[in-house]
Amino acid sequence: MASEVLAKPQMRGLLARRLRIHMVGAFLVSLGVAALYKFAVAEPRKRAYADFYKNYSPEKDFEEMKKAGIFRSIK
Amino acid sequence: QNAASPIMEELIAFHDHALMIIFLISSLVLYIISLMLTTKLTHTSTMNAQEIEMIWTILPAMILIMIALPSLRILYMTDEFNKPYLTLKAIGHQWYWSYEYSDYEDLAFDSYIMPTYFLEPGEFRLLEVDNRTTLPMEADIRVLISSQDVLHSWAVPSLGVKTDAIPGRLNQAMVASMRPGLY
Repeated sequence: MASEVLAKPQMRGLLARRLRIHMVGAFLVSLGVAALYKFAVAEPRKRAYADFYKNYSPEKDFEEMKKAGIFRSIK
Repeated sequence: QNAASPIMEELIAFHDHALMIIFLISSLVLYIISLMLTTKLTHTSTMNAQEIEMIWTILPAMILIMIALPSLRILYMTDEFNKPYLTLKAIGHQWYWSYEYSDYEDLAFDSYIMPTYFLEPGEFRLLEVDNRTTLPMEADIRVLISSQDVLHSWAVPSLGVKTDAIPGRLNQAMVASMRPGLY
């Protein structure tokens, strides 16, 4: 049997290497989650409010509500 | 509910901001926990942990400052004094509210909750009252809240108002609605 010398496996610094890679990964993942929430939920909500009020006329809204009959003090 | 006053809009935006930070921290912690649980490698030599201790003191302090600054801004915004157009007095009793408008002519009435068997179709259970309080929209209104007997609380969620009605104490809340409607 021909004996081949295998390369010596990495024995030291394994935990340190794992930690290093995963710590960076963890921070990136959590920042990604935060960015995802901000741009998928928070920004669209702010934009929805801005769009709603851009061409909003409270008087027109009031007339529509009055016609729908939800107010009791004025018909 | 959707915001109907500028303060409520700010509160909703702040809630989004704080929730984003919560998700950030929770996802980080979850990731680290799963990391700890899936390894056989351990650190056996003694540790001099100065650097990491510095990191995990400074980083939360910065996060807390990021939460506190918008929070204080909104807090001072709610106490901003704008000249109110109208003053409404809301006085809590067991178990109804009495409202007084005393600016121009004296108007006072009691407002009882509508019992469920009196409700028409389309009305909200436990939210309808017999005499509704009418307020002008797009106007700053000062609401003075107190109580006749026990502790109550006067709240309108979409306007971002919740103030305790304490017997013997007068609390002031500012209400400004941007849209007409039933709140």
